Amino acid sequence: MNTFNTISEFIGHFHPVLVHLPIGILLIAVLFYFLSFNEKYKTLRTSIAVALFWGMLSAVVSCISGFLLSQSGNYDQAIVSKHQWLGIATAVVSVATYFLHNKNSNHLKWAMPVMALSIIITGHLGGTLTHGEGYLTESFSKKEDSKIIMKPIADIQQAVVYSDIVQPVLQSGCYSCHGPNKQKGKLRLDEPSFIDKGGKTGKSIVPGNISESEIIKRISLPIDNEDHMPPKQKPQLSAAQIELLNWWVLSGADYHKKVAELKQPEKIKPVLASLQAGGQKDFTILSDVPEKPTAPAPESILNELRNLDVAVNAVAKNSNYLSVNFVAVDSVTDKQLRLIKQLDKEIIWLKLGSIKISDTVLAAVGRLANLTRLHLNGTNINDKGLLYLKNLTRLQYLNLSGTNVTAEGIANLERLKNLKQLYLYHSNTTAASFTKIKSLFPGVLIDTGGYTVRFLATDTMLVKPTTVKQ
Amino acid sequence: MTQNELHNQQLVKEAEIAAMQYHTRRHFIKESAMGLGALALGYLFDGCGSKSTAADNSLFDAANPLAPKPPMFPGKAKSVIFIHMAGAPSQLELFSYKPELSKLDGQDCPQSLLEGKKFAFIRGVPKMLGPQAAFKQYGQSGMWLSDNLPHLSTVVDEIAMLQAVTTDQFNHAPAQLLMHSGSARQGRPSMGSWVTYGLGSENKNLPGFVVLTSGGNNPDAGKAIWGSGFLPSVYQGVQCRSEGDPVLFIKDPNGMDRDIRKASIEAINKINQDEYTEYKDPEILSRIAQYEMAYKMQVSVPEVMNISDEPAYIHEMYGTKPGEANFANNVLLARKLVEKGVRFVQLFDWGWDTHGDSANAAIEVGLINKCRSVDKPITALLLDLKQRGLLDETLVVWGAEFGRTPMRENRDGKTMPFKGRDHHGEAFSMWMAGGGIKGGITYGETDEIGYSIVNGKTEAFDIQATILNQLGFDHEKLTYESQGRPFRLTDVYGKVIREIIA
Repeated sequence: MNTFNTISEFIGHFHPVLVHLPIGILLIAVLFYFLSFNEKYKTLRTSIAVALFWGMLSAVVSCISGFLLSQSGNYDQAIVSKHQWLGIATAVVSVATYFLHNKNSNHLKWAMPVMALSIIITGHLGGTLTHGEGYLTESFSKKEDSKIIMKPIADIQQAVVYSDIVQPVLQSGCYSCHGPNKQKGKLRLDEPSFIDKGGKTGKSIVPGNISESEIIKRISLPIDNEDHMPPKQKPQLSAAQIELLNWWVLSGADYHKKVAELKQPEKIKPVLASLQAGGQKDFTILSDVPEKPTAPAPESILNELRNLDVAVNAVAKNSNYLSVNFVAVDSVTDKQLRLIKQLDKEIIWLKLGSIKISDTVLAAVGRLANLTRLHLNGTNINDKGLLYLKNLTRLQYLNLSGTNVTAEGIANLERLKNLKQLYLYHSNTTAASFTKIKSLFPGVLIDTGGYTVRFLATDTMLVKPTTVKQ
Repeated sequence: MTQNELHNQQLVKEAEIAAMQYHTRRHFIKESAMGLGALALGYLFDGCGSKSTAADNSLFDAANPLAPKPPMFPGKAKSVIFIHMAGAPSQLELFSYKPELSKLDGQDCPQSLLEGKKFAFIRGVPKMLGPQAAFKQYGQSGMWLSDNLPHLSTVVDEIAMLQAVTTDQFNHAPAQLLMHSGSARQGRPSMGSWVTYGLGSENKNLPGFVVLTSGGNNPDAGKAIWGSGFLPSVYQGVQCRSEGDPVLFIKDPNGMDRDIRKASIEAINKINQDEYTEYKDPEILSRIAQYEMAYKMQVSVPEVMNISDEPAYIHEMYGTKPGEANFANNVLLARKLVEKGVRFVQLFDWGWDTHGDSANAAIEVGLINKCRSVDKPITALLLDLKQRGLLDETLVVWGAEFGRTPMRENRDGKTMPFKGRDHHGEAFSMWMAGGGIKGGITYGETDEIGYSIVNGKTEAFDIQATILNQLGFDHEKLTYESQGRPFRLTDVYGKVIREIIA
């Protein structure tokens, strides 16, 4: 039974190829038939019988393969049923037309247009099955932004997690292939009962367990993985939406509970706040790689830097943003600086740890517009040098440990609104100034270090065996 | 001629004709069509191992094998420090709090636990052994920890505890190989080799993968657990020593100054380059790269491996003693190496095999002493990385090849002189911290005596997949073609443990 299913599904997959045979061959028969009334094309008349015969045959084969495909159940049954019966009708009409033609019947001039019409309608329904409802006129309707956007909610704490938050995400990101019209992989996500049922590969969600939940697994895969969902060419879920689905599944995947009833970890709070009406609209989980792609930097500059012992590399294979590390050198030379200046859009991570830097270097660093992570630990930067950094508004990570900066200098960095981590271990900041820095950067993780590990007498004591039994 | 002779003659003739047919043009054309056809088919399908696919997927650049390379996606972690307690500490005296087990202390082990199981040393019916340490909850997360680790208890909110790690190996060497190379048998590249193969070395003066051992012995699996397997040998771990010369024979011998050394290496490389032009064996290029690296390491390694320059408060924090070969020194070195851009630092500390056959291998003696030697440095490492802003991008993994049984070991059916536990692969604990891993979280659960897994099963492959994921690799895509097929660290297994990712 199982092998039979596999084979029949395999044959079924040829349907989208096979259907084009009767469409082409039968329409050619119709074309030749009408053309042959013209004296010039009279000779075409002899070809009609051949075209009708092979067209009829391929129509029957298409019907069979189509039936096998429909058994896989991946498609909207209502449209499948219409498509199926019209397809069979087309095949029957083509057989009839063939025999009418053989008998040289007069009815042929009716049969031919009927056949053409049924081919067109059946074909359109077939298209609807593969490309989704309204695919034909899609390009006329207003083009939506390819990013999935959600409507604001009046009071987020009173919103029902599933119907107000999760469902809209699924609707915009998943329904087109896993909804009423199509059930790719036998998966439907438009009703709780369908979600619980899962699909071909298993359970779509396992409450409380994101590793076993197929949906979470798929959306968390890197976009280049062939199992990633939504497929690469379709609109993608935002990091915030993925976070919302994660949160919902982790907190039990309940279909009725309200937001207020679920535990809200720190991470989800800003995401939820962004859904609130009047909240910050364009909220995205801040990543240290900008979402907007950039053009590739000239390979020649990168190679030149590499020859000057600077480690420079894309942050990832599919990104043109650069990570630059001066770990193997003692200072920044003019030559290196000139090349760095040419990469002012591309460099997002920069490590200048433990080297000698001058004001010109800092001035150049201050112009790296997209910089998100900056290591200046162990450098000779001081308060004056910090002034060069005050416009790096995208900066999220700043390491100033082991430098001479003070609280006054750091106060000049007030405009770094995206800053998330600031390291000040062994800097010239005093414990007294710490509260001032904290108030300047609310919500920023500020680490002044100086941790110690307690001294315990037992640390250096050895336990000796008390009694040795034989 | 007799009938028989005639028959024989006939046979010989037939054989001669058949033999001659093998030399006919017809036979040649017929057979070559078949052979060529098969070749063509193989070519058309671009089958496994065909040069083009292998070359396309390989991240190995023979001309510059250690050049830094981008990961597949932006990784949270830039470096990994893997701390391996070789010999396997008892999870029941460190991380796995099992009050029910103390009620069973001294009782015969129920048959149901022994049926169909195989142990390294336990024979017959052993007695159950209750936890030999007191447990308390620590931190905001309320993580359970034993009093054997008083320092680590202050940083539990930084670590993600994996309570249900499992392995199918119950002897040290194969289990260590499985943990580090994804196979219980020798021949596969180790995790650090895969990482350097994928990412290269950020610091051109230092190797990408450094190994430090302590405890007086190398781990049972030998150097294969930092070997490069079928990957080019340039990716194998470089073992350094924390006492004396960090790398053996790194100093120039007497009478050989650095210029002569440079000239001789250049001459050797020139010969190797000629050899490569002739034979095109990539291993020759690896050889050249290794000579160059060794030359650079003569200066860079003694510098980075010198901990005596560290301030006194750091030595106090880690409990380090410059000049000695011990675990604490290795931990401090690990931090220094990571600061200098080394991708993968592997620490092995030998002496955790607590069977109870001697005082040093006793849970009530040796285990406590081992804990005291690692507790402070590991805690210091986490705090020091944190204050330097490095914990954010350094993944620290603590673990061993397996865990230990809730039963007391009865080697050869006899009572042992000390309290000890046998090897137990079915359920044990490991933890991760930093590098984009959530802190203060426990993943996985074992039954009430810590014998089997209840949920959150984690295999070595899952840990490997998670480490690669944090570095920016899809563990299914980081492959290398060998013997006609692509290999990967996690073989055909492994899933990223998303629950513990921040």
